[in-house]
Amino acid sequence: MGILVGKDSKVIVQGMTGREGASHSRAMKDFGTQVVAGVTPGKGGTDFEGWPVYNSVAEAKEATGANVSIIFVPPAGAADAVLEAAHAGMPLIVLITEGVPTVDMMKAVQEVKALDAQSRENGGEGVRLIGGNCPGLVTNGEAKVGIMPNKIYTQPGRIGLISRSGTLTYEAAKLLNDAGMGTSTTVGIGGDPVIGTTFADVLPMFEADDGTDAIVVIGEIGGADEEAAAEYIKNNMKKPVVAFISGRSAPAGKRMGHAGAIIMGNVGTPESKLAAFKDANVPVADTMPEIIDLVKAALNK
Amino acid sequence: MKLHEYQGKEILRQFGVNVQEGRTATTPDEVRQIARDYGDAVVVKAQVHVGGRGKAGGVKFSPTPDKAYENGEKILGMDIKGLTVNKVLVTKAVDIDAGTEYYIGMIVDRNVQSFTLMASAEGGVDIEEVAAETPEKIVHYRVDPITGLRPYEARAVAIQAGFKGNLNKIADMMVKLSQAALERDAVLVEINPLFVDASGTPLALDTKFEIDDNAMYRHKDLADWRELEAEHPLEIEASKYGFAYVKLDDGNVGVLGNGAGIVMTSLDVVNRAGAKPANFLDIGGGAKAEIVYNAVKLVSKDTDVKAIFINIFGGITRADEVAKGVIQALQDGILTKPVRMRIAGTAEEEAKALLAEVNSPLIQMYPNMFDAAAEAAKEANAGEANK
Repeated sequence: MGILVGKDSKVIVQGMTGREGASHSRAMKDFGTQVVAGVTPGKGGTDFEGWPVYNSVAEAKEATGANVSIIFVPPAGAADAVLEAAHAGMPLIVLITEGVPTVDMMKAVQEVKALDAQSRENGGEGVRLIGGNCPGLVTNGEAKVGIMPNKIYTQPGRIGLISRSGTLTYEAAKLLNDAGMGTSTTVGIGGDPVIGTTFADVLPMFEADDGTDAIVVIGEIGGADEEAAAEYIKNNMKKPVVAFISGRSAPAGKRMGHAGAIIMGNVGTPESKLAAFKDANVPVADTMPEIIDLVKAALNK
Repeated sequence: MKLHEYQGKEILRQFGVNVQEGRTATTPDEVRQIARDYGDAVVVKAQVHVGGRGKAGGVKFSPTPDKAYENGEKILGMDIKGLTVNKVLVTKAVDIDAGTEYYIGMIVDRNVQSFTLMASAEGGVDIEEVAAETPEKIVHYRVDPITGLRPYEARAVAIQAGFKGNLNKIADMMVKLSQAALERDAVLVEINPLFVDASGTPLALDTKFEIDDNAMYRHKDLADWRELEAEHPLEIEASKYGFAYVKLDDGNVGVLGNGAGIVMTSLDVVNRAGAKPANFLDIGGGAKAEIVYNAVKLVSKDTDVKAIFINIFGGITRADEVAKGVIQALQDGILTKPVRMRIAGTAEEEAKALLAEVNSPLIQMYPNMFDAAAEAAKEANAGEANK
């Protein structure tokens, strides 16, 4: 069970023959993921470690029936790779690449959303982008479409995990694993300013998932994604949610820049995120290990 | 990459924005010459990448060329928030009372997954104060990243913000601002004040322009504009290595880790342990020993740093590579401050073995981040007390 990816996911890897693409294709296969083909323009018709390589996503999809694409294409071509997959009708696209220009992402995300709406209108299954600059997804015990270390997912469980940060995803997954609770699906949504899928997009999927009893949200300062998530939880969710916010002591104005402060007024600060979660009755852990205690308490209620 | 005011104005000029005339100078004599050429009052403005230049005395009205010389002498070489002023922009002075000052800006806005155009009739002042105290005085409008801003949209925003003047000309400036932001991969562009004279014509008096570092590869011409002498030496070095690095004020613990999320959490943990982080350094994923070595070297150079906290959750990153980098820094005499680290994950045992072999009190490894941070905080505060 779990959401978005599972036993039936058939995965193609855009950029399989590159260094990152190759090593993570192997790691995904080791995890048990059905990796069915690679896409590298110009290398179509060749074979890569037993996987067929195609020139385009459309060809790869046609030949293999793939329903997920994971992208390891360098930044300059990454948004284009997303659009290629989206126009080929790939229902789930996972963009791992870090450092994609923000303007490229704005355009790609907008176009993917339009294609998604169009597909749904025509009775299709839609198009969803996860990332970029994200670690991908894992449904524990079934499939990994991402770059998380395999060994932190040895304990399939019933806790859903959503995170903006790569390393903190690992940290939380390991804590849940070591506590014997394990995870259902982990979704790394990515830390870039413009991403395909937000907390509020993923929460309803977990709410509807029979394999998930509670959800952990790992947020951070900046933006209003956590506030939007809290609003959704308050109005729509019955399952317990536990949160963590990274960077609570980071000084305002640094790194986040003044721009965020201007547009958000008082949104985006740790205080506004804490207040939003409090208002939604979502307990917020002060430290990461405390997440485990809060999840236990929420499940025992 | 942050651009200087004169550089931001040059880009806006290239996009057809009506920008106030000005030239740069690096000596008081040049300042006087420009003032003479303009034949009128000028404003001498420090070109440094910090906010609040005006309040710090870096912007001065100069009614005569001699006064301009004097102001040039005062401002050039001046220290503003740790940065030395090497260049000034000399612009023709404008009689502010003969017109109105507005604000327009374009910023990357994650909440609408695009640019937001902002406009306010409260221009010429600190816009962040307006945002904090009277947010209703700023109009926000999502700009379609594919089509850009259209003139009719710009007019609607100008009307809503309460702008007076030639609406077509003002809207045209907004459209050009939007084109500049999209085509030049801006993170932020502001025109403040946007001066509208008695005839209703808009003029950009000051700008802020910041380019997305991820897109610099397609703006090679702008990379040449980078003035390294105007930046903090440690930040220049960090960017050379490709690190995300931020120097933090009043700190004593150097903090480095693999990934923005874990470094942010590390800052929290150091604070909780009773010390203050001196910096934020993200070494990225999959770091080899050399990268760790460079990171330690960089952080060690900061004289505020009394101890270093390294927090790594290794997936692709191997703990033994991290240990090797730190040990190498010790052996080369670069590392003279205590390093307290937590490295979980891949090759943890190998790292422990390497450190045991070196057996230096300067480098200690802990099984969790809280203990490592607490020890780093203790060392840093002790180092502080011994000063």
